[in-house]
Amino acid sequence: MSTVRLASITKHYGATVAVHEFDLDVADGEFVTLLGPSGCGKTTTLRMVAGLVEPTGGRVWFDDQDVTFLPPRARNIGFVFQTPALFPHLSVADNVGFGLSVKGSKKPAIATRVEEMLAMVGLTGYGGRLPAQLSGGQQQRVALARVLATDPRVLLFDEPLSALDKNLRDTLKFSIRELQRRTAKTAIYVTHDQSEAFAISDRIVVMNAGRVEQIGSQTDIYLRPRTGFVAEFIGANNALPGTVSAVEPAAAPATAPATAGEPATADELREHRFTIESGGLTLRCRSRLPVAIGDQVVAYLRPEDLEVVDEGDGAQYRNVVEGDIERVIFEGPTAQLRVRVDGRELRVDVGGDRRLIVGEGRGRVRLGFNDLTVIPADSAAGEPVVEEA
Amino acid sequence: MVSSRQLTNIVSHAYIWICLVVFVLPFLALLSYSITGSSTAAGSTYALKNFQNALGTFSDNLVWSLKISGLTLVVNTLVSLPAGYAIVRHQFPGKRILFSVLTLPLYVPAAVIGISLVLTYNFTYHLTNSMWGLVFAMALGTFPLMLIPIVVALKDLPIVFEEAAECLGATRWQTYRRIVLPLIGPGLSAGLLLTFIIVFNEYLVTLFVHPPGLTTAPLQVFNLIRTAGLAPTTAALAVTMQIVSFTAVVLFLRFFGNRHLKGTYLL
Amino acid sequence: MTADARTAAPNGRRLGALPRLRAPRLRTIGMLAPAILLSVLFLYYPLVFIVQMSFSEGSTFLSPTGPISTLENYAAIVNRYLPNVLVTLQLATLATLADLVFGFPFAYILVRKVRYRNLVRALMVFPMFGTLYIAFGLRFILLPGGPATPLLDALGIANTSILFSLPSVVFAMAIFTFPFMVLNIGTALSNVDPTLEEAAACLGARPWQTFRRILVPLTRAGTVAGILTVFGWSIGTFAEPLLLGSVNEQRALAWTVYQRGVVQTDYGLSTAMGVVLLLIAFVVTYLSLRYSRGALVQ
Repeated sequence: MSTVRLASITKHYGATVAVHEFDLDVADGEFVTLLGPSGCGKTTTLRMVAGLVEPTGGRVWFDDQDVTFLPPRARNIGFVFQTPALFPHLSVADNVGFGLSVKGSKKPAIATRVEEMLAMVGLTGYGGRLPAQLSGGQQQRVALARVLATDPRVLLFDEPLSALDKNLRDTLKFSIRELQRRTAKTAIYVTHDQSEAFAISDRIVVMNAGRVEQIGSQTDIYLRPRTGFVAEFIGANNALPGTVSAVEPAAAPATAPATAGEPATADELREHRFTIESGGLTLRCRSRLPVAIGDQVVAYLRPEDLEVVDEGDGAQYRNVVEGDIERVIFEGPTAQLRVRVDGRELRVDVGGDRRLIVGEGRGRVRLGFNDLTVIPADSAAGEPVVEEA
Repeated sequence: MVSSRQLTNIVSHAYIWICLVVFVLPFLALLSYSITGSSTAAGSTYALKNFQNALGTFSDNLVWSLKISGLTLVVNTLVSLPAGYAIVRHQFPGKRILFSVLTLPLYVPAAVIGISLVLTYNFTYHLTNSMWGLVFAMALGTFPLMLIPIVVALKDLPIVFEEAAECLGATRWQTYRRIVLPLIGPGLSAGLLLTFIIVFNEYLVTLFVHPPGLTTAPLQVFNLIRTAGLAPTTAALAVTMQIVSFTAVVLFLRFFGNRHLKGTYLL
Repeated sequence: MTADARTAAPNGRRLGALPRLRAPRLRTIGMLAPAILLSVLFLYYPLVFIVQMSFSEGSTFLSPTGPISTLENYAAIVNRYLPNVLVTLQLATLATLADLVFGFPFAYILVRKVRYRNLVRALMVFPMFGTLYIAFGLRFILLPGGPATPLLDALGIANTSILFSLPSVVFAMAIFTFPFMVLNIGTALSNVDPTLEEAAACLGARPWQTFRRILVPLTRAGTVAGILTVFGWSIGTFAEPLLLGSVNEQRALAWTVYQRGVVQTDYGLSTAMGVVLLLIAFVVTYLSLRYSRGALVQ
């Protein structure tokens, strides 16, 4: 129904920066999720889009309209809170019809619309009940019906499922997505739960400490993290900090650099090979990242990209290392190995038959891997720590 | 053989009951007095007759009491609701000081309020002949007792309800009227109850401030005792006042329970 | 696109303070105004007024020739009306003590042992309807020839010695303020974990020791708050002294203020007494707020 543009949205609380120059363009009908740990500013940003919080700087646009200073009631939005926030003294039907009744719609019209909405969320016949008589999941569905009843142009979700138990969360998240698709409304969704974000979003914005780390699709973020934070926050990752020790001659740029005189960016180069010394490990990488000898980088290795290799095998891998198994955790579909290789501890996720064989415990193991994501050290986050299970 | 624990129990309960009896004793005494007449009077007068008499002669006073109480309730509500909301929901410096300043009347002795108001009314405001002088005096002494339950109720009301209403398109006024007010209703009623009880039975400040010709029922009781001594009809009036007050309390507790009296004197 | 280009509004307006999203100052002031107005007009200004008046002689404050400034009123209070002040303090102190001695056990039993609490609460409101009815009822009971006569005769006490005397005044005052004391102590007690008392008993403490060394310290804030609430109220009342007291008790300050001020129009003196009452009340309030804030923190 509406595009949403956030232009350098900023929020300061005194000296604290909650949100720093957030830029985002959301297409009409797109489902964008703001994903990040507690305190990263995602809820504050959402509330600025809603008008519940006043930005310290920047602008919010719905289509061509600058809504930055409009109060929430004038923005025609639907906001779903963390708690259902159903008005306890009103029936389900009155709750759902509230938005229409405050705008002065006539009773028959409201009643029809309420019926429609309740049907859409699968709660026909519940109109006469009070919120206290409903379960948590039902309440949240009524909350959905309530915001959809006013036909808003943008839907905003503030961790709507975090108060519900796991099974409910799994089913309800798809219901939310389904409703959003059916009504073709632009949606911005906030959560700290990765699997939720991955399951239902068109695009994901990863946030940390008030800043945007990366914006992209699920595959972008998982397979091509741009910063250390994203690499470590999304899924499990082995972080291997090191120094570039050798670089094969870089290929010529595929096209002339977009800006004359500026160094080529990663996208503009073809992949090239280089070697990283990390502790006692030598890593052979192939990536588009422009590097020079002596650069400090961090190489990230996903546990599932490390393969257990038998003696004599491994030619297909650019890197083969050997190490001692320190711990084996059988998780069911996979087994998690903690292997000490040249002074570093690596986590390896093993599936299929291997998990049973390796499950014996001690001993040496050979590991082969190809795919490494390399990120310059100054954008890496925190200590190089193997992701806990 | 009664164990020492049982003995303690019996004594404890007995103590409570003795105290309770002491509480109600004055009321019961007056009740019996009004029904049976003075024990030294020749012959007894019938209960109903006394009460009828009381309500007849004193009907003016009772009506005044009700009127003044009612007006005070209105003034208190109009004053405390917006103030309570602003204190809880708005941001401004010095909230605590303001709250202390506003609740100060509770700590000023009635006689001091009385003397200060009667002199001010006489010489500056010229309010001596208006019933509004009395109403505002009553309001001044009791609006903190309405402000406190309102503030407590608002603090307990999650702000998310107002945010939800606002996002659904309600104006501030619509939100106050349709969401906030109903949800703090019980707390508000606690304030109304307290105000009513106190103003209905008030005589201390009233003595100082009442306009000539306007005598509320409790004041009438006081005057009569001082001038005419004890009389069954006076007792009947006192009993009526207490019955009305007690009924109000019981009704309130029936409807709302005692959660909402937190922070006030009654709980 | 540079940041500036993205954030500039079509008409180039810069960001400034917002009138729309936060509650505007004006609205806040408007909502607080009635309450502030009521307080200022009907409490603070009148108080200032009487303080000024207390420094003027008799009713000269408002005479055409202007007030005669004097400290005479306060001097008079010290010289001639000290008994009044003392009686007031004496009555209040005795009533408070009575409430403390009888109220603490009541609160304790109520909180720890009694199940029919709601009934008790309902009956406890009776005293709160006002001191007038209590005084009235008590006076009736103690009348010669009244209901208590047989009992008093049996005890060999003459009615009049009880009726118009200090004990009955104190008794009546104590009844009215009893619920306030019980409520304050009761709240503090309900915050004390009963297992503490059990632990003390298991360790060999006798009831008195448990009381003195565990209960008293832990409920100190609530008890002090109760004491000060009761005291603060008791200094301002006049029904009980008047209806039940002898001439001595009838000198309670509250009534004297009325007599001198309204009846005899000696404004200077009565306002000075009012100020003295006010000062006592403020000291009491200040102390109670300090202690009860500690209780709230607990």
